Amino acid sequence: MTDLTTLSIAEAGRLMTSGELTSTALTEAFLARIAVVDHKIASYITVTGDLALAAAQQADMERAGGLSRGPLHGIPIALKDIYETAGVRTTGHSHLRVDYVPAIDAETVRRLKSGGAVILGKLATHEFANGAMTPDQPFPAARNPWNTDYQPGGSSSGSGAAVAGALCMGALGSDTGGSIRNPAGFCGTAGIKPTYGLVSRCGIYPLSFSLDTAGPLTWTVEDSALMLDVLAGHDPNDQASARAPKVDYGASAHRSIKGMRIALARSWYESEIASVTPEMKKGIDDAVEVLRDQGAIIEDVVFPDIRDYHICGRVIITVEAHAIHRRDVIETPEKFGYTTRRRFQLGAFLSAEQYLSAVRFRRKLQQDTRAAMRGYDLVMAANQWGGPEVFEEPQQIFHFLGKPSLSMPFNVTGQPAMTVCCGFGSDGFPLAFQLAGRPFDEASVFAAGAAYERATPWRARRPTL
Amino acid sequence: MTSPMKPPTLEEFRARAALTGLTLTEEDIGHLHKGYVGLLGLMERIPQRWAWAAEPPHVFCADDIGAP
Repeated sequence: MTDLTTLSIAEAGRLMTSGELTSTALTEAFLARIAVVDHKIASYITVTGDLALAAAQQADMERAGGLSRGPLHGIPIALKDIYETAGVRTTGHSHLRVDYVPAIDAETVRRLKSGGAVILGKLATHEFANGAMTPDQPFPAARNPWNTDYQPGGSSSGSGAAVAGALCMGALGSDTGGSIRNPAGFCGTAGIKPTYGLVSRCGIYPLSFSLDTAGPLTWTVEDSALMLDVLAGHDPNDQASARAPKVDYGASAHRSIKGMRIALARSWYESEIASVTPEMKKGIDDAVEVLRDQGAIIEDVVFPDIRDYHICGRVIITVEAHAIHRRDVIETPEKFGYTTRRRFQLGAFLSAEQYLSAVRFRRKLQQDTRAAMRGYDLVMAANQWGGPEVFEEPQQIFHFLGKPSLSMPFNVTGQPAMTVCCGFGSDGFPLAFQLAGRPFDEASVFAAGAAYERATPWRARRPTL
Repeated sequence: MTSPMKPPTLEEFRARAALTGLTLTEEDIGHLHKGYVGLLGLMERIPQRWAWAAEPPHVFCADDIGAP
C-alpha cells in the first residue's frame, strides 16, 4: 500500500495547500491501486479514470493559481452507483438500469464537483439500495477487505469496501435503514447518516421517500465532517430538504467534549431478546471509558424497545419501496435479483391502514425518543450485533425476520447517527458503536467521534489487500 | 399493542396475491407468504387504535423533527 492512498482527507488537503502534494499524483495513486487490487473486493462498477485525471489537473491548476474550493478540492471520491452522474452510467447494480446514462448530476454530485472533488467512479451497492447481493445481478458483489470470504455489509457495500481498502478517500452512500452505518461498521470506516433533510436526495435512486438520507463514508470522523461541509444545504428540488443553518462541521471535529452528556442505550443491544457478542460489548464498554476520560458524562438511559423502531421502519420501507418500483416488478420482475424482487413485491400486500399506523407510530417514537433524550446531547449504542456474514452464504430474502436492526431507530427518528470503529475482534473484523445527536446537531456527533478517534489507535490499522 | 391479526393461510394468501396485479410464480408466493406472516407478527407491536386527531403528516417534513 502506498502512503498516498492512506492519507486522510484532512492530511491530503493540508499537503496540497502547502504545495507538497498534487491532486494529480494523489489521483494517479488511487487509480493505480484500483487497477491492482480492486478485483479482490469488486468495490467498483465503473472507474472514470480519464475524467478523474482531468478533474485532478484542473484542481492543481486552480490551486496553483491561488483558488481554493474548500476541503474537498482535489480529493478523490467515489459514489455509490445510485447517484446520478451526467454522462456516466448509473446502474443501481441492477439489470434494469445497466445501460442508463443520466443527463445531469445528482445535487450532491454537483456539490462535490463544485467543491473541486475528483470523482474516481461508481461503486457496488445492494440492488437499488435494498436487495441483498445475489449472483443473478449484472456486476460482482463487493467483498469485505478485512477478509474477502465475508460480506462488507450494505447496502452501501462498495462504499464501505472501497474506503477501507484505500481505493478512495471518501465515498457517498445512502442510509434508509442503516445502509451507511452497516458497511461502515463491518469495514471499520467512519460513516454518518445525516439528519433527514440535511443533504439533498435529488438525483439519487429512491428507496423510501420518507426515510432516505444521503451521506459520506470515510476513514476518519473528521473526514466525514469535511465531506458534510460540502454536501449539506437546502435544495428546493428535494421536497424533504430542510432550511438548516450553515455549520462548520470540520471545526466541530476539534471541539472539546468536556461536560457533554451521552445517553447509553444499552437496553437495545444487551437484553433477553438479543445481545451483541462479548467482544463487541467489551469494545463499547471500553469506548465509554475513553469518552469519560475525555470529559463526557455517560449514563444508561432506557429508550423505547428496539423492536418498535425496527418494525415501524420496516413497514414504511416495504410500502414505499413497492410504490417506487411497482411498475417494474409488475412488468419485468425477472430483471430484479431474487431477493430484491420479493422485497419490492411484499409491499403490495400491506394495507393503507397498516402503513398509516406505522407512520403514526413513527411520530410517537420520535416524541418518546426526544423525551428519553432530554438532558442529553447524544445517544450511544452498538452499531452491529457481531461480525459480517459469510460471502457465499445464501441470502435471506426477508432479513427483517432476524434480529432487530440497531441502526433503524435513527432512521425512524430522523436524527443524525454516526458509526465509529472501536477496535477489532479476535476474528480480525472491526468493532463499532453509533453516536446519534439531536436533529441537525451533527456537530456534537463529530466532536465526540473525533475525540474518541484521537484517543485510540484504531485508525492506524488497515486491511491488507 | 394491536389485537393479534390472524395470519392468512397459504391458500388465502394466494387468492389475495391474484388481486395485487403482480406476476408471481408459485415460489414467489411461498416466499411472500412467509415474509408477510412474519411481518404481521412483528406488526403486533404497532398500535392500531389511535386518537382521531393523531393525524400522520402527508409528507414527512424535515423541519418538523426539531431545529437545532
